[in-house]
Amino acid sequence: MKALWARTTGLDRLIVAVLLLGILASFFLLGARPQGERVLVERGGRLLFSAPLAENRVVDLEGPLGITRLEIRDGQVRILASPCPTKACIGMGAIACAGEMLACVPNELLVRIEGAGKGAAHDLLSR
Amino acid sequence: MSRSRLFALGLVILLSALALFGRRGEEPGEFRRARVLMGTVVEVTLLDGGANVDAEAAMAAAFSAMAEVEARMSAHRDDSETARLNAAAGPLEVSAATADLLALGLRVAAASGGAFDLTLGRLKTLWGFAGDAPRVPDDMAITAALQGIGPESLRLEGRRVTKREAVLHVDLGAIAKGYAVDRAIAALQAAGIRHASVNAGGDLRLLGDYGGRPWRIGIQHPRNPEAVLATLELADAAVVTSGDYERFFEIDGVRYHHILDPHDGRPADACQSVTVVAASAAEADALATAAFVLGPEAGRRLVEAWGGLALVVAADGTVSLSEALKERVRWP
Repeated sequence: MKALWARTTGLDRLIVAVLLLGILASFFLLGARPQGERVLVERGGRLLFSAPLAENRVVDLEGPLGITRLEIRDGQVRILASPCPTKACIGMGAIACAGEMLACVPNELLVRIEGAGKGAAHDLLSR
Repeated sequence: MSRSRLFALGLVILLSALALFGRRGEEPGEFRRARVLMGTVVEVTLLDGGANVDAEAAMAAAFSAMAEVEARMSAHRDDSETARLNAAAGPLEVSAATADLLALGLRVAAASGGAFDLTLGRLKTLWGFAGDAPRVPDDMAITAALQGIGPESLRLEGRRVTKREAVLHVDLGAIAKGYAVDRAIAALQAAGIRHASVNAGGDLRLLGDYGGRPWRIGIQHPRNPEAVLATLELADAAVVTSGDYERFFEIDGVRYHHILDPHDGRPADACQSVTVVAASAAEADALATAAFVLGPEAGRRLVEAWGGLALVVAADGTVSLSEALKERVRWP
């Protein structure tokens, strides 16, 4: 090892150090809780709407009961208003990570975030 | 370039490749689709199916199988077999699928001493949990709705079903969702899929493992919607949880939930939640309801006698579980 160290120049060591730092950074970046990238809204298996999670906006989506209002804000998406009777979809709050879903069952709308990975420590949730 | 530089560069490239591929190896490629079916969100996840598998076609077959079960067994469709059975005054011939499911339901009803019941249709309508305005019915109405129910209330001879009393209303809500999940899994298997999951609003079944490791199944904490109570590591199994937090309303601080005890017609009060691991989702579905009604001890015994495993949260929050589940559970 000593011999190897002696045979490398300062520039060699700098290159190796920079690249090793890059690898270390990639571990942290890839290992972090992955943020979703796009919001998708589906109805009956058909894609109704798709938008980047990073762009703030409010959108009205039509289901059999009427208009469901969706808000994308600060990297999160939530249902603001819904014509369904129980408003359970509004009560589900906001989602931000890939794989997470919101649903308005009576109005047949599914909102999900598509991205590179999953945010939770489990693959599926039984409830 | 000198040998030392080549060595250093080679080392860096090797480490980079290990870092990237090592991390990617944690999650196999997933192909997910979700639909609203059977009054809930159904999500099908396929893992790497291989070049010979048409994943889109497999996915379509799985959803189609579930839609067929919904059309056949929903109590809310006038043309379903359940609706025809409810309207029938005499014996009725049903499909082989419905007969199989009724047979399973009647076996669980008998094994649980009536804690699970297929004929709670009138009682459920009375409480109105499925509608916009659930209510606490009066005692007389509850007594009337319980008239004629029980493990002997339906007689099944082949595909011929006879109700003991014409007024009985069959409700397959506590078993049909699990059965639909099983049919979806069968459709995926027929399409050549070997690693997949079908999740119908938390009633789920796993096909194979998750890319060389068990699936990690989070179990909903019954009193904290944001938290997971435990994580189960499982493969080739069905997992269903019944909890008092799924559908409920409160009056004067009293929680009235949708899992009704057939013995008194009121919400069962011995558990907060019951999770059952079984070979099929239909069995897990029915057993979770039965165990919830029976309570922690008797419920767990029923599930284990059936060959399943149970994780029970009692009404006071105490958690107990089957011995064989302890090696597969991870606590947060």
